[in-house]
Amino acid sequence: MDFNTQLTLFSTRFLGIFIEAVSFLLLGTIVSGLIEVFVRKEDIARFMPRRPFAAIAAGSFLGFLFPVCECGVVPVTRKLYQKGLPVSVGVAFLLAAPVMNPIVFASTYAAFGFGPILIGRFAITFIMAVTVGLLFSLERSPVKLLQPRALMAMAGGSGKIAPQLDAPPLTFGQGLLRAARVATDEFFDMGRYLVMGTALAAAMQTLFSQEQIRALASDPSMSAVAMAIMAFVLSICSTTDAILALSFANFGFPTGSLLTFLTFGPMVDIKATLMYLSIFKRRLVIYLAILPLLMSLLFGIFINLNVRF
Amino acid sequence: MRTRRWFQAALMLLLGLYLLETLLTGEIAFYINERFNWLAGLAGFTLLALGTLNVIALLSEPEGDESTLQGAPDLLPAARGVAHGGTARWYVLALLSLPLILGVFLPAQPLGAAAINNSGIAFSLNVSGGDQAFSIAPTQRNVLDWVRAFSSSTNIDEFGGQPADLIGFVYRDVRFDEAAEFMLTRFTVSCCVADAVAIGVIVRSEQAGGLAADSWVRVQGRFEVRDFLGQRMPILIAESIESVAMPERPYLFP
Repeated sequence: MDFNTQLTLFSTRFLGIFIEAVSFLLLGTIVSGLIEVFVRKEDIARFMPRRPFAAIAAGSFLGFLFPVCECGVVPVTRKLYQKGLPVSVGVAFLLAAPVMNPIVFASTYAAFGFGPILIGRFAITFIMAVTVGLLFSLERSPVKLLQPRALMAMAGGSGKIAPQLDAPPLTFGQGLLRAARVATDEFFDMGRYLVMGTALAAAMQTLFSQEQIRALASDPSMSAVAMAIMAFVLSICSTTDAILALSFANFGFPTGSLLTFLTFGPMVDIKATLMYLSIFKRRLVIYLAILPLLMSLLFGIFINLNVRF
Repeated sequence: MRTRRWFQAALMLLLGLYLLETLLTGEIAFYINERFNWLAGLAGFTLLALGTLNVIALLSEPEGDESTLQGAPDLLPAARGVAHGGTARWYVLALLSLPLILGVFLPAQPLGAAAINNSGIAFSLNVSGGDQAFSIAPTQRNVLDWVRAFSSSTNIDEFGGQPADLIGFVYRDVRFDEAAEFMLTRFTVSCCVADAVAIGVIVRSEQAGGLAADSWVRVQGRFEVRDFLGQRMPILIAESIESVAMPERPYLFP
């Protein structure tokens, strides 16, 4: 393929992913703006279960309240942190929400019907999100975990609730301008990771051929690895990845490997993972990528080897 | 700092305009599934609004006033530096310009035969909706409807003799006899082009050799169940093939 064709293909894929993702990102920013206005810090403290495990489990179901995909979940999580959400609960929300929400339930049901894929996808996502959330709850100080900007307005230390700010009252116009300023900074802060991730995903899609990956379909463990690579490289929106998984089923990928694709992809793909850098310290983002990878592979390979449908 | 803030505002306005422009010209159909068009429109208007508010803020602020979050109390030492230096750095502005540069300076083109080299092609698609496909009259079905019908049928012979009237682009690889057959192909896009899957119907015709890859054609003919690479499958025996312009919506949306 000559360079011009490659460049045009790259450009089409880049713009496709970017337009779709930036729309969801802005939608997430709007939701986070609504949270800013309508959700008070006391509300989060009041509704959050006291016991850490219950709080983390509740966090993984928050997606039914804020239905977002993996691009929209980032600004929402960041805003919830600023409102005082404990870090571990936010991690469970961040990882689970792109799957555990009504839109993805509907699209997975439409593609696979009610059966092992649908149940497995939700159950495995829940287990993975809660496990990683629990691991994060071992570190009590948010300052060590989060980027300074995600911490703003959050009192350091316990991750509990910060005191309300007593800023001088603003006129409506001033308030609007400030909100725009904050939203703008947020957009550029996350947008840079989105562009880098989108460019990487588009380049990978253009340079590498799916044919070689598909050749691995018949091997129970390699096919799960292949699906994890696909999920990472393709960076498809979690709201529709079930439909693509169906086409992989056609190429002979077994149920366990499809579950790896459907649980790992929404948690970790190139663009979303890079956007995590706007919330978490770099070292933690690596954990946030590696832990789901290992667990989704484990589940996928175990199912491939031991479960007959 | 003010220069960068002006640049930021301009970039948001231009990105917003670009999104709305692709919607108005219909180019958006090269990139995403049409059921997300409203979302792209919303994003366009949000960017325009944010850009405009930033311009108003810049015009109403006295020159040299750098305190952007006046009144915000001192929080964490770590957060302080960020709160007062929020404006994106130059490399960030350059990154966010990339979509505009690609969108404005490169000709917009949908995925074509070249893209199949990366993604492969599916002869059958295990998609839901097979029953719906059967409820459409044969000559009204598009490539996706046919592929769905083939995939959900238990008796492939039922398609023998059925008439079809299809539009798609020409694709062949080494498996095809170049002079006599080609794949009449469409991309299906569920969300955006990242998830594009090529599907197609095999067409046999004596005219096949004269058709260039990637050219758009309308094929009318009847299906016959014949052998292709040792597998019995419905093959469209062309009665007429004419060149057509690329449709406004080049992808099919499952």
